[in-house]
Amino acid sequence: MTTTTTRPGLAPRLTALTKVVELGPGRLDKKLLDEAGGLLLRAGDRLKLSSEHTVVALAGGTGSGKSSLFNAISGLELSPTGVRRPTTARTHACVWGLEGAAPLLDWLQIQWRHRFSRASALDKGDSQLHGLILLDLPDHDSIRALTDTEADRLIGLADLVVWVLDPQKYADASTHRRYVTDLAGHDAVTVFALNQADRLTTEELAELVIDLNDLLRREGVDHPSVVPTSAVTGRGVESLKSVIATAVSRRRAAIQKLEADLHRLEQRLGEAMPLGQALSAPSSVDEARRMGLTDALCDAVGVPAVGEAMENVYAERSGQWVAWPYPRLFAKLRPDPLKALRLEDVSAEIRGITTGSVSAQSAEVANAVQALADGLSVGMHPVWRSAVHQAARSRSGQLPQALTEDLTEVAPQLDRIPGWWRALKVWQYTLVAAFVAGVVWLVAGLLMPGQLPPQLELLGDGAALPWVGLMMASVLGLGALSGIAARNFVELGASRERERLEREMRRRVAAVSATMVVEPVERELGRHHSFFTALRDLSV
Amino acid sequence: MKPATEPVGAQRADEESVGGRPAGEERVSGKTGNDEPAGHESVQEEPVGVQPADEELAGEQTTDVPPSGEGSPAGRPSGKRSSDKRSPGGRRPGKRTTGGRPSNEPHSGETPADEPEPQIGDAPRNGKRSATTDADEKPDASVAGDELGAVDVPAKSGVPAKSGVPAKSGVPAKSGVPAKSGVPGESGEPGAAEEPEPTAEAAAIGDAGSRGGSESVGRAATGGGSGTVGRAATSGASKTVGGAATGGSEAVGGAATGGEAGKNVDAVAEAGGDEAVSEAEQAGGQEAGGQAAGEELPAEAAETLTTALDTLRESVADLHFGLDLPGVEEARQAQADLLAQLEGYVLPRVRTSTAPALIVVAGSTGAGKSTLVNTLAEKTVSRTGVRRPTTGTPVLACHPDDHEWFAEGELLGGLQRLDAPTPDAGPGSLVVVSTEKLPQGVALLDTPDIDSVVEEHHDIAHRMLDAADLWIFVTTAARYADAPAWNLLRLAKERGARLAIVLSRVQPRSVDVVLKHFVRMLTEYGMGDIDRFVINEAKVTDGRLPDSEVTELRLWLAELSVDEERRAQAVRETLNGVLDSFRTRVPALAKHLEGQVAFRTELRSDVEAAFRSALMEIDKAYKNGSLLHGEVLARWQDFAGSGDLMRSLQLRRRGKAAKQAPERVLAFKAAIRTGLESVIVAAAHRACEEVVARWRHRSELGAKISEGLDSPSDNLIRHTGRAIASWQDHLGELVRTEGVAKRSVSKLVSFDPDSLALIFMVAMFSGSNGEGVPHRLVNALLGAESLRGIGAKALSDLRARISMLFDEEAMRYVKALDSAGIPDESVATRLYQATYNLEVAR
Repeated sequence: MTTTTTRPGLAPRLTALTKVVELGPGRLDKKLLDEAGGLLLRAGDRLKLSSEHTVVALAGGTGSGKSSLFNAISGLELSPTGVRRPTTARTHACVWGLEGAAPLLDWLQIQWRHRFSRASALDKGDSQLHGLILLDLPDHDSIRALTDTEADRLIGLADLVVWVLDPQKYADASTHRRYVTDLAGHDAVTVFALNQADRLTTEELAELVIDLNDLLRREGVDHPSVVPTSAVTGRGVESLKSVIATAVSRRRAAIQKLEADLHRLEQRLGEAMPLGQALSAPSSVDEARRMGLTDALCDAVGVPAVGEAMENVYAERSGQWVAWPYPRLFAKLRPDPLKALRLEDVSAEIRGITTGSVSAQSAEVANAVQALADGLSVGMHPVWRSAVHQAARSRSGQLPQALTEDLTEVAPQLDRIPGWWRALKVWQYTLVAAFVAGVVWLVAGLLMPGQLPPQLELLGDGAALPWVGLMMASVLGLGALSGIAARNFVELGASRERERLEREMRRRVAAVSATMVVEPVERELGRHHSFFTALRDLSV
Repeated sequence: MKPATEPVGAQRADEESVGGRPAGEERVSGKTGNDEPAGHESVQEEPVGVQPADEELAGEQTTDVPPSGEGSPAGRPSGKRSSDKRSPGGRRPGKRTTGGRPSNEPHSGETPADEPEPQIGDAPRNGKRSATTDADEKPDASVAGDELGAVDVPAKSGVPAKSGVPAKSGVPAKSGVPAKSGVPGESGEPGAAEEPEPTAEAAAIGDAGSRGGSESVGRAATGGGSGTVGRAATSGASKTVGGAATGGSEAVGGAATGGEAGKNVDAVAEAGGDEAVSEAEQAGGQEAGGQAAGEELPAEAAETLTTALDTLRESVADLHFGLDLPGVEEARQAQADLLAQLEGYVLPRVRTSTAPALIVVAGSTGAGKSTLVNTLAEKTVSRTGVRRPTTGTPVLACHPDDHEWFAEGELLGGLQRLDAPTPDAGPGSLVVVSTEKLPQGVALLDTPDIDSVVEEHHDIAHRMLDAADLWIFVTTAARYADAPAWNLLRLAKERGARLAIVLSRVQPRSVDVVLKHFVRMLTEYGMGDIDRFVINEAKVTDGRLPDSEVTELRLWLAELSVDEERRAQAVRETLNGVLDSFRTRVPALAKHLEGQVAFRTELRSDVEAAFRSALMEIDKAYKNGSLLHGEVLARWQDFAGSGDLMRSLQLRRRGKAAKQAPERVLAFKAAIRTGLESVIVAAAHRACEEVVARWRHRSELGAKISEGLDSPSDNLIRHTGRAIASWQDHLGELVRTEGVAKRSVSKLVSFDPDSLALIFMVAMFSGSNGEGVPHRLVNALLGAESLRGIGAKALSDLRARISMLFDEEAMRYVKALDSAGIPDESVATRLYQATYNLEVAR
C-alpha cells in the first residue's frame, strides 16, 4: 500500500483544506464547511484503505439495467434482475481479488450477504480486472429513492462511477440535474454506459450516442466517455470491461476522484470566499495605525487637555504662594460674588474640582477602536470584516476602565504644593517684614529723634533719609521682582512638567492599547491571512 | 323550485317529494329514451355554465310539476352524475338509467363508502322502480318529510348529516366548503336532501342525486336549527340560479323562517344573483314566477362566475412579489401558472361549456406519448424518435369539425397556433392538426415530457395539463416507479382532474407481473379505480403502433365522443377540481405575499428598535455622567481651577463684562461638543451594526440588502457636529433670554452668559441630582424654576436634534429596503376577497 507521500499534489492540497476547515468555522457557510470536512474524512479514509482496489459503481435510474449489466460483467447472476420497478434496493458488490478488500467494503457499508467475490483462478480472462470492486447501486430516481440516500452516498464514495443509461431515460433530469452537472470535471472518473442498445437499430444508436455526447458536453463534461452496451446480447460489455480494466490497472481512480472532488470544492469555496485581494490585506497593525490609535485614545482620555489644565491651574495656584502678597491682599479686600450668593462654601468646592482624576470617555474609546478596525478591514469579505471588528472590540468593554486606572497613577496632583513655593512665600513675607520694619524704623526715627538706641540712630542725619527710602523701595522692588520671577519659574516648570506628563501618558496609553486592542486584532488578521493562504494553496 | 321544497318544511316536503318523484321518473324515462336531449337542455340552464343542461331540465321539470319544481332539478343532476360515473367504469347504459334518479349511485360508484348507507340504497331502487312504485313510496316519503318538518330541528340535523356525508365522499372537493352550492346548477336536490328523513331522504336523494344535493346538504350541516333547513333550500335555489352564491346565502338568512322560506327560495331563484335576498323578502310566494325566472338564471350565473373569475385574474395579475425571499420563485411560478390557467382554460371553459373536450397526453420522456397520439390519429401528427426529449412543441390533434374552435378559440389563448411543427417554434406555440380519424368532440394534445433535462418542457407540459379537461397519463414498464411520474399523479389527485393511465412499452411476457405491481402501487396511492390501458411493447412503424394495441383506448375515446353527457360531466369535474384547487392555491399566494409584507415590517421594526435603543443609550449617557470624562473633565477642571469660573461671576458694582480667557471657554465648549458627538456617533455605530446583525439573522435577503450599511453614513459626523454646535448656541440663547437671574441676585452679581451656558451643560450632564458645584451655582444664579425650564427645553431640543440625525440614518435602511422591492399589502386582501367571491359565485 502506498501512502500519501507518493502522491504529490494531493497531500499538500489536503493539508491546505485541513487548514481551511480549521479556520473556517464562523467564517464559512456551515454546509460548505461540513462538505469540506466530509471530503477530508473521506479522503483520509480512502487513502488509508486499499489502494490496490478500485471501487466502480454502476449507477442509474430504475429499469436502466444496472443489475443486468452487473451480472453481465461479473458473468454470474449475482444481483436479481426483474421487471418490477424498482428492483434493487440494496447495493451488491462483486470483488475481483478479495485480498485487503474487506476493510474497504466495510467502509462502503456493503452488507455481508451482498458481497461476492470472483477468485481470479476462476476467470482467467478477467485477470486485468484484478482489484476491481464492482457495485450495483439501487436507483436514484424512483419513489423509493426519495427516502433512501444509499445511491447518493455510494456515488460519492466510489472511485469511478459508471452511469448506466438507457434509450428511454438517458435524458432524465433526475440524472443530469442532480448528478452529471455536479460531476463536471470528473471526466476521468465517470463513464457513461448506454445500455439496452439492442432495442435500437444501428442508425438510431449512432444518433443517440451523438445526442448524448452533445448533451453531456453542454453540461460541462468535456470528454465524455460513452460506451453503448447491451446486457441482453452482451454487446459492448467487453468494451465497458476494458474501460473499467484500464482504470483498475492504473490504480489512479481513487486519487483522481479525490482530486476532482477537491477541485469542485475548491471552486465552491472560491465562490463563497473569493480570494481577490484578500492576501494583500494587512496581516499586522503597522506603526502608523498604532500611532493613530494611541492618538485617538489620548484624545479620549483628554491628555492634551489634562496637560493644559495642569499648566493653568499651577499658574493660578502658585499665585497664592509665590506672588508678591500685596496685590493679593488688595484682591481679598474686593467683595466675593459667591458671598453675595451665599455660596461661600462653593469656593472650596471649586478648588476641590481640580483634585479630580483623569478618566477615559468610553464613547470616544469605542470610536477610536472602531476607526482602527474600519481602516484595517477595508476590502475584506464582510464576514472577515465583522470578525476583525469583533476582535478589536473584544476587550473594549474594559478598555476605558483600564486606561483610567493606568493613567490615574501618573495624573498630576493639581493641589500639590512644591517646597520652593513655601520657601518663596517665606522670602516674600520676610521682605514684607523687612519693609514693615523699615517703615517702623523710619517713622520712629522721625517722630522720636534721639530716643532710639544709638545703634539705630541712623537717621539722625537727615542726609541718610533718602537712603533709607531707597532701601525700602528696594525691598518692595525686590519682592515684586522675585514674585514675577517665581511666577515665570512656575510656568516654566509647569510646561516642562506638562511635556513630561504627556509623554508618560501617551506611553501608557500605547501600552494598554497594544495589549487590549492591537493584540486581538492582529490575531484575527493573522487568521485571515493564513485562511486565504490555505485557500490559495488549495487551488494550486 | 328546489328551494320551495326545503323551506316549506313539512308541507312542502310532501309536495316536493311527490313532485320530485314524478320528475325523477320523467327523467329516467328521458334518459333511457334519449339521453342527449335532456343533457343539452340542462346544459343551457345550469349556472356554472358547464352544466347548463341541468337548468334547462329544471325548467322543463318545473313546467311539468309546477308546484314542486324542485324535484325535477334534482332529478337532472342525478342524471348527469350517473352518466359521469358510468363513463369511467364503462357501465354506461344500465347505470345511467339507474343513476338518473339517484344521485347516490354516482356517489356510490365513485366512493364505495357511500353506497353502504341505507338511504342511498333506497334511492337507487326508487329510481329503478316504475313511476307507480315511486308514487306509492313517495307518499310515505312526504309523510316522513312532514314529520320531519314538525320536528324541525332534529329532522334537519339528521338530514344534513346523512346527506352531507355521502355527498362529501362522492364529490370530495365540494364537501367542506359552503361555496359548493354554487357549482352545479342542481339546486333541486338540495331541497330534497334537506327534507330528508331516512325514507323521505331516499326519495329526495333519488331526485336530487346530483351534486347539488350533496352541496346543499353541506350547507345545511353548516347552519343550525330551522335556519339550516331554510338555508339549505336557499342554497339549493341559488345553485339552480347559477353562480349567485352570495345572493343565495344572504337569501338564506331572510328565508330562514319556516314555510316562508320556500317562497323566498323561489323568489331567490327569480332574483338570481345578489339581489336575491331583497327580492326573496318581497317576493312572498310567487313560485311560478320563480320557476319561469329560473330558466334565465343560468346565463346570469355564468356571468357572475365569469365576473368573479375575472376579478380573481386581475388580482392575481396585480400580484407583485417585491422581495426575493426564499420561496419567491415558486410563488412567482405559481402565480404565472395560475394566471395562465385562468386565461387559457378556466375563463374560456366557463364562457363556452360546449366546447370539445381537450384530452392532454402527458408523461415521461420516451414513454411514447407522441407515438400514442399518432396511432390514435392514424397520422403522423407529432414527431417521434429516439432522441430524448423528442417533442418540444405541444401538438393538438382533433376532428376537422373541432378544428376551428381549437385554432381560434380562447382555450390556451396565449399560445401561438402553428399548422405544423417547426424546429424553431418557441415555447409559446401550439401545433393544431386535424384528422378525421379522431372522434368528434374530443381532442388529443401531445405534450412535451415532464422529466427530461430540458426544463422548459416541464413548464409547457404543466401548462397544458392546466388546460386539460381530461388527462391521459402515459408511463412505461421501465418508468412506472419514477418519482416524477408519481408527482404528476399526485398533482392530478390534488386537482381532482379526470384521469386515465396508459402503461405502455410493456413486454408481453412480463405484462402480468408489471401490471399487478403497478396496480398495487396505484391502489396504495388511492388511485386503484382509475381507467387503465396497457400497451405492449411493439414494433413502431412510421411513428405509429399497430392499431390493435390501442383498440381499447380508441373505444374509450369514441364513447367519450358519443356520450356528450358523460363528456360534459368529465369536463365539469375537472373544471370543478381546478376551481377547488384555487381555494388553496390562491390563498397560498396571498399568504406568501403576506409573508413578504410581514418580513418587510419586521425589518423595518428592526431598524426602529435599533435606533430607539441608541437614543436611549444616549439618554443614559447624559444622565449617568459618563459624558463628564476625558477631555470634558479636564477642560472643566481647567475652567474651574484656573479661576475662569469665578471670573465669570462679577459683582454688579464693578460693571459688567469681566475679561475672559476666550480660548479656554472655547476649548471647553469644543470639548463638550466633541464628547457629545462621540457619544452619538458611537451609539449610531452600534445601532447600525445591530440592524445589520438582525437582518442577517433574519434571512439571506436581509444580509444582501444590508450590504454596505454596516456603519453610519459618512455625513453623520459632520451633521452631528453641526447639530451639537447649534444646540449649544440654542442653549446659550436660552440662558441669555430666559435665564434672567433672580432679582435678589441680579442686583448684586452679573454673569457671563456663555460661561453660564457651559456651566449649565456641565450641570446637565454631570448627572448628580442638584448636588454638584455647577448645579448649585446655576441654581443660585437663575433660581430653581428657570433652571428646570431651561433644562427641560435644552434636553428636549437635544433629543429632537439627535433623533433627526438618527432618522436620517434610519432612512438609509428604509431606502435600501424599498429598493429591494415593495410588496403591495392590499393585493393580498383583494386575493382573499376574490377567492371568496369566486366561492360565492359557484
